[in-house]
Amino acid sequence: MKYALLVYGDQSAWAALDAAEAARLRAESMPGWNAVFEELGTVDPSWDGRELAPASEAKVVRVRDGNQIVTDGPFADTKEQIGGLFITELADLDEAIRIAALIPSAARGTIEIRPLVEH
Amino acid sequence: MIDLGAFYRDEWARCVAVLTRVLGDLDLAEDAVQDAFTIAHERWPTSGAPDRPTAWIIATARNRAIDRLRRESTFRRKAELLARLEHGEVAPTGVSALTDDRLALVFTCCHPALAFEGQVALTLRAVAGLQTAEIARAFLVSEQTLAQRLVRAKRKLRETGIPFRVPSEPVLPERLPGVLRVIYLVFNEGYAATSGGTAIRHELCREATRLAKLLCVLMPDEPEPFGLLALLLLTDSRRDARLDPAGEIVLLADQDTRRWDRVAIDEGLRQLDRARRLAGDTPGGYTLQAEIAAGHAGHRSPAEVAAAYEELDRIEPSPIVRMNRAVSIALAGDVAEGLVMLDAVTGLDGYHYYAGARADLLRRLGRREEARAAYVEALATVGNDAERRFYRRRLAELTD
Repeated sequence: MKYALLVYGDQSAWAALDAAEAARLRAESMPGWNAVFEELGTVDPSWDGRELAPASEAKVVRVRDGNQIVTDGPFADTKEQIGGLFITELADLDEAIRIAALIPSAARGTIEIRPLVEH
Repeated sequence: MIDLGAFYRDEWARCVAVLTRVLGDLDLAEDAVQDAFTIAHERWPTSGAPDRPTAWIIATARNRAIDRLRRESTFRRKAELLARLEHGEVAPTGVSALTDDRLALVFTCCHPALAFEGQVALTLRAVAGLQTAEIARAFLVSEQTLAQRLVRAKRKLRETGIPFRVPSEPVLPERLPGVLRVIYLVFNEGYAATSGGTAIRHELCREATRLAKLLCVLMPDEPEPFGLLALLLLTDSRRDARLDPAGEIVLLADQDTRRWDRVAIDEGLRQLDRARRLAGDTPGGYTLQAEIAAGHAGHRSPAEVAAAYEELDRIEPSPIVRMNRAVSIALAGDVAEGLVMLDAVTGLDGYHYYAGARADLLRRLGRREEARAAYVEALATVGNDAERRFYRRRLAELTD
């Protein structure tokens, strides 16, 4: 079964850190990320994963009554924003939960598991 | 002649579990097994039961599943499931090897990704074999609501890829409590003296006890299933004594102990011993609650009950446990200490048992004025007639 693992975190907390502190935290979490990549490589060599640019870079597009409306994002006033995602084919939900728990962001933010609908 | 009712109860879960493993689809497995039992019900009374009735049900259900799939409209699913049926091993010769399938079925139905009420409904339907209408009656919801609940849960099983297997060792300890909680809730639904038909409520208690036993058979090295089974047996042993002929609750102290079920008590104590042996120095919550229930049945000293509450408060702290712990210390002899502890409990204002317990300890200490005030407070919030009468009686004694 294919799953999307959506990685949520508080980007404003990251933005508030000074550069040195942010770099230190990133370096600290690298072994954790490498463990996730390695594990995914073992269970699904075709996995894909991407980090997204900060939500402050986002644009929101709507078409209403034929008019195109483009605004800055993020559009929802939530504390956590999506910061990255994985797409992977796994045996079942328990496997997806196991992988999600390995993702370093799970310790601070949230990992949302969404099965992909197959048509 | 085979007792079809008993055969259905004993073998339903096994057959559904085997078919689910082969098909990877609980919904279809359940329908097919139901079909097979219906056919057995029509034929066996006249033609006699086959030599290996369980294998017959499984083989018949497999054929029914193939029939049902041929009528299925979604081609993709049909092709996939038919392929599984043709290649999967459906009815191995030894039935004993299939026990793990039932355990997988239990864990699938109690998967934490399902809504809790969905877990309960699914367990009662797929594992216990209760009909939708029976479950609906027991939970006082319409059959349609209950059917919807089952449909939603089964859809989620399929669409999120909830596995049909026993969780692996590292995850098992965090999954088992969820299963035990479902069984405990089923029992409590049946035991709570609220409305609903009495017969169906007894049935829920019996089913919960059967599920707990099944878990003990399937996981013989885990202490908490034995603790839960002991708790259910010891609690249920007082079923006949706890209601008077008018259907009102009889307080523990007023119960006719001759009406307690000695067989259930003995078995409960045996299962409790087993749980204690398996748990060693770290008994779990159900095992400790069973210790307390054994105390209520007169098989543990007040000091042992107090020790069990102390341990329970350590692993599952709550104001209710602290309140009961304080009362147990008072009953074990140290009333003054019990009252000090009771007064230190917060968060139970407006809970009549708390005011009632305080009243009782104050009465025992001869502090009549304060005891009277506490009984009045208890009476203000009590909802049950037997307990109201009890508080009034105590209050009258203090007013003489």
